[in-house]
Amino acid sequence: MAEPARSSDSLNVERSALNVERSAGGGPILQARGLAKSYLSGDRRIEVLRGTDLDVAAGESVSIRGESGSGKSTLLHLLAGLDAPDAGTLAWAGAPIVAADATERRATYLGMVFQSFYLIPELDALQNVLMASRILGRPGPADRARARELLGRVGLAGRVTHLPAQLSGGERQRVALARALMNSPPLILADEPTGNLDERTGDTVIELLLSLCRETGTALVLVTHNAAHAAKTHRGLFLHDGVLR
Amino acid sequence: MPWYLYLALKQLFPTGRRFPFFTVISILGVALGVALLIVSISVMGGFGHEIRRMIVETQGDVQVRARGLIENPAEVRAQLAQVPGVVATTPFAEGVVLLEHASRPAYPNVQGVSLTHVGQVIPLRRYVRMGSLDHLDDESIILSAQLAVAIGARVGDTVELYSPLLLQKLRQDEIFLPRGLRVAGIFEVGHQQLDSTVVLVTLRLMQDIYGLGGAVHGINIKIAPDADADGVARAINRILPDTLRARSWAELNQDFLFVLQLEKNMIFFLLTFIIVVSAFSVTSSLLIAVVRKTREIGLLSALGGKPRHVAACFCFQGFLIGLGGTIFGLGLGFAALHFRNDMVTAFTKLTSSETVLARFYQFSQLPSYSAPGDVTAIIVCSIVISTLAGLLPAWRAAKLNPVEALRSE
Repeated sequence: MAEPARSSDSLNVERSALNVERSAGGGPILQARGLAKSYLSGDRRIEVLRGTDLDVAAGESVSIRGESGSGKSTLLHLLAGLDAPDAGTLAWAGAPIVAADATERRATYLGMVFQSFYLIPELDALQNVLMASRILGRPGPADRARARELLGRVGLAGRVTHLPAQLSGGERQRVALARALMNSPPLILADEPTGNLDERTGDTVIELLLSLCRETGTALVLVTHNAAHAAKTHRGLFLHDGVLR
Repeated sequence: MPWYLYLALKQLFPTGRRFPFFTVISILGVALGVALLIVSISVMGGFGHEIRRMIVETQGDVQVRARGLIENPAEVRAQLAQVPGVVATTPFAEGVVLLEHASRPAYPNVQGVSLTHVGQVIPLRRYVRMGSLDHLDDESIILSAQLAVAIGARVGDTVELYSPLLLQKLRQDEIFLPRGLRVAGIFEVGHQQLDSTVVLVTLRLMQDIYGLGGAVHGINIKIAPDADADGVARAINRILPDTLRARSWAELNQDFLFVLQLEKNMIFFLLTFIIVVSAFSVTSSLLIAVVRKTREIGLLSALGGKPRHVAACFCFQGFLIGLGGTIFGLGLGFAALHFRNDMVTAFTKLTSSETVLARFYQFSQLPSYSAPGDVTAIIVCSIVISTLAGLLPAWRAAKLNPVEALRSE
C-alpha cells in the first residue's frame, strides 16, 4: 500500500483560513440536546437513545464507543440529520437542524465516512471524490485540482483513474476520506471507518483521518469499537443504555 | 451538468467498460420496436401513397359525373376550363362487357377514352408495356396485362366483344354479332385490380357499343400541382347545374382511404406495444438497479443529494435509453427500408414465391413512404414511453429512507 503524503501546503493554507473563520463564532460546531430515538420490534418498543447530549467544538475530535447495537450508528445518523429524533434538538454551528431540511446543508457542513466505503462503482477514484462537489453543482477546474490534491494527500495520486473494484479496502476508504473532505466541511462524522479493514490498514486510515482533521481544523466524531483508535481523539465517550457518558 | 444527469450517464455507460450490457440490451429493445414501427408504417404509407398516386393517375384529380349521362360534354368541358386550378379535362364512358378470345371469356370494365384529350389528364402512354397507344382506333382495344394473360391474347390478336346493347338486340330477335377488335397494346399500371379487370377503347367505340350517341358518363379533370382537389371540386360545383356533381379523388375513394388509414393506425397502435414491452423490461432492470444500488442511494442522501434529484437520475436513464433506442431504431428502420426490395427478393426466392407478391399484394415492388408526421409520432411515442418506464424506479429510489438505505445489506 502506498504511504500517504505527509503534508500539503495549499491545503494547510486554505484550512488555516477556514479555522480562523470557524473559531470566530466560538460556539460548538455540533450541539445535540436530549436526543431520543426508539424503534418498534414486533410489539416491543426498543429505546435506543434516551436523552443524549453532545457538544463538539471546532477542530475537536470525539470518539464514541459502545457495544454492538448500543445505538452508535443511530446517534450518528441523527447527528447527520439523516434521521429525525423522537425528542431532542440538534444544531449545527448554532443553527437548529430538522432532518427534513438538512439535506442541502449537509452537503456543505458535513463529511461522512462509512464502514463500507460506499464508493460509486461506475466512477473512478477522482470522479468519486468529485461527486461531493458535483452535488453542490460546482465541479469546476478548481474542484478537480482540489480532488487530485486530496487524493495525493491520502496517498492515491497514482490511482486517480482506478475504479473502486481496482482498489484495495484501505485505498477505497482513503478515497472515501478524500470525498468527505472535498467540500471543506467543518465536521466529519465517521461510522466505524476501520470496520472492514485489517488492523494495520485500519491504523493507517485512522492516523490519516486524524492528521487530516488536525491539519484542516475539521471537527471529527468517530464511532469505533477500537479502544486504541478512540484513545487518539481529544475526547472519548461511551454510549451505554442510550446515554453518552 | 447536474450531478443526477452525470450519474445517470455514468450508470448507463460506466467508466472503463466497453460493453455496458444492460444499456445495450435496453437500447436494442427500444430500437427494435422503433425500427419495426418505421418499417411497417412506412410500407403501409407507401401502399397508401401508391394507391393515391394510382387513383389520381387513372381517374384524374377531380371527376364530374351526372345522375345519368352527360349529354353535352363539350359545353361542360368549356365551363370547367373557366374554373381556376383546372388544367385539362377529358371525357370518358365506361361499362362492363363480355370479352372472349380462344374460347376464354372475361368480363372486364371497359373505359372509353378520348384519344385527343386523355393524355393531358391521365398518363396512359407511361403504362403501355406492349404495342402503342398510337395504334388504338375504333377497331382496336388495349388490354390490361393480367387480363391478356388470362384470355391468352397478344398484341395483334383479335378479341370478340359482347356489349349489353347486343343483348338488348338479341331480346328483340335481332341478329347478334360480337364486335371483333384487334389488340393494339397491353398496359400494366402495377395495381392488381386494374391490371386484371380493365380494357381501353376509344370513346367513340364505347359510345357506339353502349348506344350513348354523343353522351359520356363523366369527365376527368387534371388540376394544377399546387391546387387543392377538394377546393377545385367545390368551385366546379358552384358553376355546374344540380344534375352534375364534381368530386375530388379523395371524396370518390373516401371509404377506401378511411380503411387504409384505419389499418395504418391499427398497425401503429399494435406495434407500439413492442416499445411498451421493451419499456417494461427497462422498468424491471431499473427497479433491480434501485435495489442493487440502495446503499449508493443512501450515500447520495448523505452527501446532500435531494430525493427528487435521485429520482431524476433514474428517470433520465429511461429517457436516455429511449433516446438512444429511438436514434438507433430510426437508423435500423430506414436502412431496412432502403434495402427492402432486396430483402423481399431474397425472401421470395428463398420461398419460391416470386410471383405471389405481385399477384396478391397488388404491387410488383414494396412501396415505402415515410410521412414526417408518422416519423415524429414514432419518435415522440418511443421517448415518452421509455421515460415513463423510468418513473416507477425513480419513485422507488426517491422514497427510500436514507438511513434504511445505508443499513441495507
